[in-house]
Amino acid sequence: MNFDKILENRKPFIPVSRLLERNANDMDFKLLAGFQGIDRPVYTWDINRPGLALSGYLDYFANDRVQILGNTEIHYMERVDPAELANRVVNMLAFEIPVFILSRNLLPQPIFLDMCNRYGIPVLRSSLTTDELISKIILFLAEEFAPSSTIHATAVDVYGVGCLIMGKAGIGKSESALELVERGHRLVADDMVQIQRRGNSIHVKTHHVTKHNMEIRGVGVIDLRYIFGVGSVRDFKRIGLIIELVEADPELQFDRLGMSMPFVEILGARIPYLNIPVRPGRNIAIIIEVAALNWRLKEMGVDSAKILDEAVRANNLRRNRPPLKPEKKKDLW
Amino acid sequence: MSELIEDVIVINTLGIHARPAALLAQSIAHFQSEVYLIFDGNRVNAKSIMGLLTLGAARGSRITVTCSGDDAEEAMARVKDIFESGFNEIKGYE
Repeated sequence: MNFDKILENRKPFIPVSRLLERNANDMDFKLLAGFQGIDRPVYTWDINRPGLALSGYLDYFANDRVQILGNTEIHYMERVDPAELANRVVNMLAFEIPVFILSRNLLPQPIFLDMCNRYGIPVLRSSLTTDELISKIILFLAEEFAPSSTIHATAVDVYGVGCLIMGKAGIGKSESALELVERGHRLVADDMVQIQRRGNSIHVKTHHVTKHNMEIRGVGVIDLRYIFGVGSVRDFKRIGLIIELVEADPELQFDRLGMSMPFVEILGARIPYLNIPVRPGRNIAIIIEVAALNWRLKEMGVDSAKILDEAVRANNLRRNRPPLKPEKKKDLW
Repeated sequence: MSELIEDVIVINTLGIHARPAALLAQSIAHFQSEVYLIFDGNRVNAKSIMGLLTLGAARGSRITVTCSGDDAEEAMARVKDIFESGFNEIKGYE
């Protein structure tokens, strides 16, 4: 499987109006001013506290970020003479600023709102405290800007390990997933999986249209949520293991011991990867189940292959015979 | 179809442990022949990793290899090669 070819979507910007949408991480924003600028683009997930900019120091002003105004900034503005404040705000607004956000339901000086209205910079307000607001907004923007993609795979939560099952069409991804669900595991998505990188991990999401529907050859489309109940599906899961089903081929070399843990890079995150050869009569679901359990065991520090190898080595060393006499000198190394 | 029988000697320091077992099993997996190793009264299939590990073949062990099948000669050559290379590991007499 070539993971480099995965098409990577990354939003170049989001409009400020996205922050006002209902699902914007419960930040509960109200628009105070600058309605004309509601479609201004936000290009980065980072935030800035413009305290120094308000005091007049505009070198290195991180103007392209979301500007958060907390208690400090608002009360500082109250102290500044309105004419002087207007002057400084105009200087600030000469830079491209996406949006001002106020925390704690604070109300800024009227002159500040007037200026923002005139320049069309949206001013939002939230009831959250500043630190809550900052962490929520960074999380929300990071999620919005996270590289994402849609891939042809099946995602199942097996004993709490998110398994992304990949492989050619018709190799039995859906059937394996079906059997896993039958055995009590949870389907995240079948066939089309939305993946997204968050930090150093990959998250899978159910496609908002296909949901938990599955196409089984010979049966047609089935909805697992109704057939097996809500307990058998979930919408979201972090991926712990990528399992690729490959056709059994005697020439194919793969790790038979499981002593090495190969990784693949997908959207820039490194994810453990297993190759499972498929042969008629091989129960893939059980193998995936065991692979997930073994992966959990390894994460807890128990590596069965390594332990067995150590035991065999120790046994061999104990039974060692005296070193053999080299027959030819040149064999030495 | 005759059976080939030859002796090989384990020359690496650690004997047959997991990595050599995997190397041996994998490199003869594609042969049609049946390959067995006989050591210390045990006879194991050389295509089975767990079987090879149960041999307990330490350095200096003399192992009897039997190959039977259409490609027995190639399989035998392969097995001897692997034993003679010491599984690409440190050999017993440095």
